[in-house]
Amino acid sequence: MTTPRELIPPFGGFGLGLRRTHYDDFLSGHVAVDFVEVISENYMIEGGRQLRILEQVRASLPVIAHGVSMSIGSAGGLDRDHLARLKILEQRIDPLFVSDHLSWTRTSAHNSHDLLPMPLTRDALDVVCDNIDEAQNALGRAMLFENPSSYLTFPEDEMTEWEFLSQMGQRSGCYLLLDVNNIYVSSRNHGFCADDYLAGLPLDRVRQIHLAGHDPATPERDIIIDTHDRAVADPVWELYAKAVAMLPQPVATMIERDEDIPAIGVLLDELDHARNIAGGAGHKALEPA
Amino acid sequence: MTKRSEGTSAKPSRADLAQRQQAFLQAIHDDRAPLPPGWGNRQAAGMAVYRGNYRSALMAALADLYERTALYVGEEAFRRASMHHIITQPPSGWTIDEAGAGFDKTCAQLFGDNPEVSELAWLEWTMRELASAPDTLAMAPADFAEAGAHFGDEEWANLRLALQPRAAARLVGHDCEKLWRALDTASSNAPDRSHARLASPQSCLVWREGERPTFVMVEADHTAAFHAVAGGANYAEMIGALLGDDPDPAPQLVEHAAMRAGAILGRWLQEGLIVGLNP
Repeated sequence: MTTPRELIPPFGGFGLGLRRTHYDDFLSGHVAVDFVEVISENYMIEGGRQLRILEQVRASLPVIAHGVSMSIGSAGGLDRDHLARLKILEQRIDPLFVSDHLSWTRTSAHNSHDLLPMPLTRDALDVVCDNIDEAQNALGRAMLFENPSSYLTFPEDEMTEWEFLSQMGQRSGCYLLLDVNNIYVSSRNHGFCADDYLAGLPLDRVRQIHLAGHDPATPERDIIIDTHDRAVADPVWELYAKAVAMLPQPVATMIERDEDIPAIGVLLDELDHARNIAGGAGHKALEPA
Repeated sequence: MTKRSEGTSAKPSRADLAQRQQAFLQAIHDDRAPLPPGWGNRQAAGMAVYRGNYRSALMAALADLYERTALYVGEEAFRRASMHHIITQPPSGWTIDEAGAGFDKTCAQLFGDNPEVSELAWLEWTMRELASAPDTLAMAPADFAEAGAHFGDEEWANLRLALQPRAAARLVGHDCEKLWRALDTASSNAPDRSHARLASPQSCLVWREGERPTFVMVEADHTAAFHAVAGGANYAEMIGALLGDDPDPAPQLVEHAAMRAGAILGRWLQEGLIVGLNP
């Protein structure tokens, strides 16, 4: 049974991921961002330098805890140890948002450490909603869940991904982290219209947007791969412009870069581009409530 | 609306989903595993991407965790060892770093003629584990001296030492300090193996100084003493561990063991391994 919890107010900032390469930049206090996002699992630890740096950064910036291992699609349920550690992190840094992905990563025996696709069925939706319910109850707050990029769909699918996400939000009370690059990647891989995807979502539940780079299709491989290792591609910027123009509230936008991470200035330039696009759509930064 | 008869649903139930997820993961682990019924070329192509992502993510995690071991054995040998490790020990924990657990044992199997590879891998893993260990404050030697000043024989015998969390010790046959230093920069070449071999085993003692994991090579008997104390032994039992299996040791051996226990305790205090007394 879902426990009533506070709504997540909109936050219209622009941020970057906090990655080891940029620790010194962020500690200097001169990086012009409104928030940082961390991979939760990297900080679900007991002590040491990494945790101390996070706490130092948190003293001056809101932090979003973005997980990759909650595995809300696992038929076997959530990993209680993971959830307990996430709760400790949540209490330690009081994050702006706590998020994860619509995906599964593990069975009861093994972990893939990859965001694996869900069959889009009503039974899978039941599993996902039950797991989200457990996570949100344990954390005592609503979470955001990200649309994944995917490389296959299932013959047994009963609905579109946006229908699945809509019902998931409605039933569980969770919010959405819209990864615009993932929409683009999946739309190309599975042949749906990215505009239909956006139009079909409950956009009032979107609180954050991810922008990232991808590896385009090649003559040998007609699948686009979400890589986070290069600049955001032009079609993704175009989709971002459409998304922010459609959103009824400001959202937190960030550039996600996890491989071949460039100097902070390069990412800040990309973030400025996002600011300009969002500014053109009428969305400005908004302080957290 | 179509009425579904009980037990004949075409839709996957929760148990079916669990089964399908197991099959999916099995197909990721093993190229030869059959793909689920009804899958076509599109799904097979997608599965190839997931399979590639799985392997490259775990290989990258191992390369990050075992940077020096990789440098020491060379790129191709490390790639083969990593692949063997992820195939024989697919990860189960929620943190990807756990994929590196037990890699020293894999190295012991694969590089049997070069036991220093396993020792180096153990050291890298232990250092990494220490980096995120709980923060503690080392007990200052002066504080220990003050606390122990009034100990009688019985209090000494029953004294238990709290060691820094995740500090570790093991016997090694190679000079880990020399290997570690030689592998300190990516531009260095693999050090000469014969120069790193020790005349007799020593202990490699690993702990954290503040936020920085560190280690030192010390006398071999530190390992037995460390494992005894880490296992909950009191000071008298630690001396017993230094005496080994001898059921009736000569008095001079007992005296020597007691002196060694004092010296080891002194060293641990100096290095900051002890964080409390009688926990």
